[in-house]
Amino acid sequence: MKIGLFIPCYINAIYPQVGVASYRLLKSLGLEVDYPLDQTCCGQPMANGGFEGEALQLAKRFDNLFKDYDYIVGPSASCVAFVKENHAGILAKEHHECTSSGKIYDICEFIHDVVKPTKLNAKFPHKVSIHNSCHGVRELYLSSSSEMNVPYYSKLRDLLSLVEGVEIFEPSHVDECCGFGGMFAIEEPEISVCMGQDKVKDHIETGAEYITGADSSCLMHMEGVIKREKLPIKTIHIVEILASQL
Amino acid sequence: MNSKELILESIRKHTQTKYEKPELSVDAITYPDKQAKFCEMLQFVGGEFLILKEGENLNEMIMRLNPEAKRIGSTLSYITCNTFNPDELENSTELNGTDLAIVEGLFGVAENGAVWMDQNVKHKALYFISEKLIIVLDKNKLVNNMHEAYRQMEIGQYGFGVFISGPSKTADIEQALVIGAHGPKGLMVILK
Amino acid sequence: MSTKHSIAAAKFVANKKQAAWHNETLWMVRAKRDKMSKDIPEWEQLRDLACNIKLYSNSHLEELLQEFEKNATANGAIVHWAKDAKEHNEIVLGILRDHDVKHFVKSKSMLAEECELNPFLIEKGIEVVETDLGERILQLMDVPPSHIVLPAIHIKREQVGELFEEKLGTEKGNSDPTYLTRAARKHLRDKFLNAEASMTGANFAVASTGDIVVCTNEGNADMGTSCPKIHIAIMGMEKIVPDQESLGVFTRLLARSATGQPVTSYTSHYRKPREGGEFHIIIVDNGRSKILGQPDHIKTLNCIRCGACMNTCPVYRRSGGYSYTYFIPGPIGINLGMLYSATEYFDNLSACSLCLSCSHVCPVKVDLGEQIYRWRQEMDKIGKASKEKKVMSAGMKFLMERPILFNSALWMSPVVNVLPRFIKYNFLNEWGKGRELPEFAKESFNEMWKKNKVK
Repeated sequence: MKIGLFIPCYINAIYPQVGVASYRLLKSLGLEVDYPLDQTCCGQPMANGGFEGEALQLAKRFDNLFKDYDYIVGPSASCVAFVKENHAGILAKEHHECTSSGKIYDICEFIHDVVKPTKLNAKFPHKVSIHNSCHGVRELYLSSSSEMNVPYYSKLRDLLSLVEGVEIFEPSHVDECCGFGGMFAIEEPEISVCMGQDKVKDHIETGAEYITGADSSCLMHMEGVIKREKLPIKTIHIVEILASQL
Repeated sequence: MNSKELILESIRKHTQTKYEKPELSVDAITYPDKQAKFCEMLQFVGGEFLILKEGENLNEMIMRLNPEAKRIGSTLSYITCNTFNPDELENSTELNGTDLAIVEGLFGVAENGAVWMDQNVKHKALYFISEKLIIVLDKNKLVNNMHEAYRQMEIGQYGFGVFISGPSKTADIEQALVIGAHGPKGLMVILK
Repeated sequence: MSTKHSIAAAKFVANKKQAAWHNETLWMVRAKRDKMSKDIPEWEQLRDLACNIKLYSNSHLEELLQEFEKNATANGAIVHWAKDAKEHNEIVLGILRDHDVKHFVKSKSMLAEECELNPFLIEKGIEVVETDLGERILQLMDVPPSHIVLPAIHIKREQVGELFEEKLGTEKGNSDPTYLTRAARKHLRDKFLNAEASMTGANFAVASTGDIVVCTNEGNADMGTSCPKIHIAIMGMEKIVPDQESLGVFTRLLARSATGQPVTSYTSHYRKPREGGEFHIIIVDNGRSKILGQPDHIKTLNCIRCGACMNTCPVYRRSGGYSYTYFIPGPIGINLGMLYSATEYFDNLSACSLCLSCSHVCPVKVDLGEQIYRWRQEMDKIGKASKEKKVMSAGMKFLMERPILFNSALWMSPVVNVLPRFIKYNFLNEWGKGRELPEFAKESFNEMWKKNKVK
């Protein structure tokens, strides 16, 4: 199976190490991974702000870039969910059939559901608190949503339990929004920051040294709060933990 | 066109997809001991229960548990501890000042401690106006859940019925629970 | 790039103590709801059923409303039809005038709020008394509700104590909730006994029997309808359900979702007028039939007004009901406001991080968050898109469509890291309100890949 690595725009610019870790992790599992060049953006920031139409060309480009791959895998639950849920509708407006939405996965989802490794070469002897991002939980079903009466499961926890030495915690408001929300972060900054502060506090209260999750956007927002208030916790994308020995 | 016709016309004009009526089959929860669950839930919602034992006298028990009640209203033929019969009053407002009202329920619902009352007294105020309410209920008339309840619920000649679950209550001030708002401040179900 | 909501919300959250209390108290109600829902193994099945019953009912309104009218009329009720708020108010006034009503008591009804009934009647010389404790407190304070189920959630006990001291003559400095509730009981008992007519809303209207079902905890609706001889029940037409059996589904979902109780203290079925009395039912449209013609938004008609979406919404909990410009706040309020008048209420669209918790908590599966996303797409068409967001989106689009430009922007981005603080964090930089900017990497992933550094 040919895997096309999808690197979201802000990971490209701000957290390229997450991209590198993703590549290494997939390679270490014996997979054929390629990175189609010159990716830019999936269009989510514009669309969430109300300009879905602006994402049309981007969606087309995305579909073309990845058309020859069997799977598209990216280290961002939020961006993957956007492509999965919205690209088909956006492209349908121009009668373009979307081929990406049926084969795109968040990297955790992919490794957990498709690759299913029984062990990982990973060691991270630290306490981590899982950040269950909204789109990860409620659109990609990476874990059971706290609102629903369904048996508990967590794909992130399952993957982390393959990591030597790691101690896993979850905050008391297990999947409450951190307040990033894309444009929301700057359209309602006071509420966004309050939500971020509350969320970081909740993570700190678990006793964890790191907040980890599948979405760098959430982590970036919480990191902003942590740095401003000089709080005693760090953030790390889960893929960096899973690829820690590679 | 009058308003009814205008509204129906607007509904007709705008309705698009006609959805099917769903089959109402639910794997609804049932309880191995309905009475135990009913009593547990009744307490949970702030009510009290009493299971009348063999040989115990209902009227004596009521008097013993409510020594301060001066004005006691009941229309039930087997209640002798009442001081008046509400059905003999002209206006429902005359019921104000009733310390204790004793009424009969038709069946209880285990999942939420509710009792179905099909109005069988002249003034429905009797269910709400007293300081405390006692509902006498046949302990064999318990259903598991609201699906079963609604399958057998009927409303008779007075044209009013109510599921009563516990005493009246409110948490409107700072979410602090206060038992007893405008209806009875206490509710007891006596299972006989 | 502010909206009316963001400005008001900023003020609310600036009072940290108040905002934290509001947030935690409402979260507790969400937690109580969770506990209750987890006790019912068939909870998700009930939600599916409730959604489907509502979709069926609201797509067969013509038949069901007429069936309801036929049965209610046969039971002795008088059924009226009001096409809008104005007509509704006039019908109510007409009934009250016919019976020379001077003292009118009512229990909580969001429909009456929607029609602005109280000021209309008061202006005509009729005393209107709200009998729900929370609503009475607000009426005496002359302020609107901030939540549809817990209307006075934003009011502290000390404020109620001072209010009752002034209006009801209670003890100075006593703000104990039980003491204050007893005082309200005495005060409102008087009103119940002397009113000539009462009004209730309707949680459900049953087509097959003609019943109006009212779910309450305080006993105020039932006291109100037990003393005065005239009962007016008002219902939005989407309250119709086909039969008694469907109530089994809704009564199991409503209170659990709203307050974390297994059921409300009273689930009252009004079928016939009282002996010597009159029972009026007013069926109200006021824009609901038009919603039927919007398939993207039709599920808003499923709403049973439980308020669970507000309790879970992280934005509502931190901004309070008064930050919203529509009289109903939170996720359902954002959507109802847009349906009522998009051009008037679009400010509320910013009050959402698209977390979708609301959609998952809703007992009747209204796709609240998804609809907010769709409404945002409509903004540009109606000329209400935020100029700043439009410029930013257009800018991003320009950049992202040109990979060479994007790549050079990436190359340039480390420069942003070393800009002096006062440039980075000027008042235009909303991000900087409480957060440090992320640091742009020295080499982007694109560059690393091209330089063969990704192994």
